[in-house]
Amino acid sequence: MGDMTVVVGGLRLKNPVIAAAGTFGFGAEYGEIYDPARLGAVCTKGLTLRPRDGNPPPRLHETACGLLNSIGLQNPGIDAFIREELPRMKEQGITVIANVWGDSPAEYEQAVARLCDSPVDAIELNVSCPNVSQGGPVGEDARRTARVVRRARRACTVPLWVKLPPAGGIAVARAAQEEGADAVSTVNTFRGMAIDIETGRPVFANVVAGLSGPAIKPIALRIVYELAGALTIPVVGIGGISDWRDALEFIMAGAHAVQVGTANFVDPLAAVRIVAGLERYMDEKGIGNWEVIRGSAQR
Amino acid sequence: MDVVEARVASNVRVAAGVFLLKLEGKYSAAPGQFYMVRAWARDPLLSRPLSVFDRDENGISFLYGVRGRGTELLSRLSPGDAVGLTGPLGNGWPQRAGRIALVGGGLGIAPLYYAAKILRNADVYLGFADAPYLVDEFARVAARVLVSSETGAGGTEGVVTDIFRPDGYDACYACGPLPMLAALDRVCRRAEVPLHVSLEARMACGVGACLGCAVRTVHGYARVCRDGPVFPASEVIWDG
Ligand SMILES: Cc1cc2nc3c(=O)[nH]c(=O)nc-3n(C[C@H](O)[C@H](O)[C@H](O)COP(=O)(O)OP(=O)(O)OC[C@H]3O[C@@H](n4cnc5c(N)ncnc54)[C@H](O)[C@@H]3O)c2cc1C
Ligand SMILES: Cc1cc2nc3c(=O)[nH]c(=O)nc-3n(C[C@H](O)[C@H](O)[C@H](O)COP(=O)(O)O)c2cc1C
Ligand code: FES
Repeated sequence: MGDMTVVVGGLRLKNPVIAAAGTFGFGAEYGEIYDPARLGAVCTKGLTLRPRDGNPPPRLHETACGLLNSIGLQNPGIDAFIREELPRMKEQGITVIANVWGDSPAEYEQAVARLCDSPVDAIELNVSCPNVSQGGPVGEDARRTARVVRRARRACTVPLWVKLPPAGGIAVARAAQEEGADAVSTVNTFRGMAIDIETGRPVFANVVAGLSGPAIKPIALRIVYELAGALTIPVVGIGGISDWRDALEFIMAGAHAVQVGTANFVDPLAAVRIVAGLERYMDEKGIGNWEVIRGSAQR
Repeated sequence: MDVVEARVASNVRVAAGVFLLKLEGKYSAAPGQFYMVRAWARDPLLSRPLSVFDRDENGISFLYGVRGRGTELLSRLSPGDAVGLTGPLGNGWPQRAGRIALVGGGLGIAPLYYAAKILRNADVYLGFADAPYLVDEFARVAARVLVSSETGAGGTEGVVTDIFRPDGYDACYACGPLPMLAALDRVCRRAEVPLHVSLEARMACGVGACLGCAVRTVHGYARVCRDGPVFPASEVIWDG
């Protein structure tokens, strides 16, 4: 049997399939359907220093093979997460990646410092949420990204991943790498919008919302391919991954691991089905470990 | 909560654009709970939330109106077809004793039938836009059924809040359009009758993980799928 484990930016995972931030809560809900410890890891809902209410409804809008969301980082705050969610997650044997957002470099640093005192296994700096700031997210600008990653790195003793937006490009990814990120994960949702033709007004109060799902997969794959070719640190591939074949494409594009988001909504078992599909693939092809096929498309 | 593939037993049109879908199998749903339902691969992407209309040893049924693509696809299902179900989900109606009134407007009648069947002696108020349907079915499981129709095509001409008086009830459970629920809240408050309402919101996960189905309550945003769909009306912020 092939070895499903993978080491990604200082973090050892039992398999390369991770539940994506904001689509899996803190693992409790899907935990009623299967044991989330069967996944490589779980990324938490985006956490902030203080609790956040999130955006007014409507927060969801379905598009052709896609989903627009405007959740707005509703979360109980880092302290409540550490107190109420993390102990249960660790007890269950889940590898926990804390997804973190701050509205300034200083706030990112404080948030990361707080989490580093807790038993989280890694931190994913979210510099790519389209739903909380006016204009583009920090991760669309190399200099702003560098500043945030520098401050976070200083405060951080656990593996630090930086989650990049689709529009950041190679310059931003290189900035994250130079400031000491252990890995980058990408993509976060694309900035999109929808208009209610009855009222003639945007569907979302914030106008812009984040597009995810199968609709974004080919573009996300291209971005992962480009970053994996340009960086020396690992890339974690995200975007529209629905089954094990999609996951394989991202690994062949050069990803060390993948995250599954919107597909959880389509099929609550999607992420574990992907684990099983990859396992079967390894066996059938007689592949010993992921290095054999990782980045095959780059060669 | 289970993820299952069920077989269609029947899928019958009960009124213009309204269907009753029966699925085979054993289910554990309580009145007021719902399932995420799908009968397609990836288009549309998301499953559709539907309340449990009825449940017995042989299966489960859903009453749905054709609104858009998803419910249109459901309306084309034939016996033997496969339907994906995740559930049962949500909290369901509270279990209260005493005289209970069930009030439904339009497809808001869907989550009331199974409740009436379990309660046995409830009074049911059904409001239709046009010709009423399933009234005899409700009459078989309820103490009394009162019906209104906006066109006067059956029952009292008007809306369901015209025929409902809260006096003498220990509690009222309601489902329907928001303005109807807000109006009921006013009359029930005045009569000091506790009102519980089943709310709707767009849903992605249906299980409480995505925070997409938020409604404003006096305690802040709540998830319709997990904290509801049934809420005490006193906690709902109607202009939300
Ligand atoms: C907990 C819950 C239980 C429900 N139970 C029932 C039921 O028992 N019977 C029933 O007929 N319907 C029920 N609904 C509503 C049902 O889910 C929607 O009508 C359905 O999702 C529409 O899907 P569609 O693809 O046909 O339409 P779409 O193409 O998705 O939309 C068609 C129209 O309906 C509106 N719409 C879509 N989804 C919703 C929604 N969730 N709430 C309000 N408006 C919406 C859209 O704005 C659009 O105008 C329930 C909803 C919830 C949240
Ligand atoms: C409802 C929803 C909430 C999300 N919340 C977050 C979040 O809190 N933090 C974050 O970094 N990404 C968040 N994302 C982005 C996902 O983690 C993922 O990057 C994106 O959806 C693309 O992957 P997918 O197509 O597999 O969903 C969210 C996505 C969705 C659909
Ligand atoms: S639909 Fe995802 S939290 Fe309710």
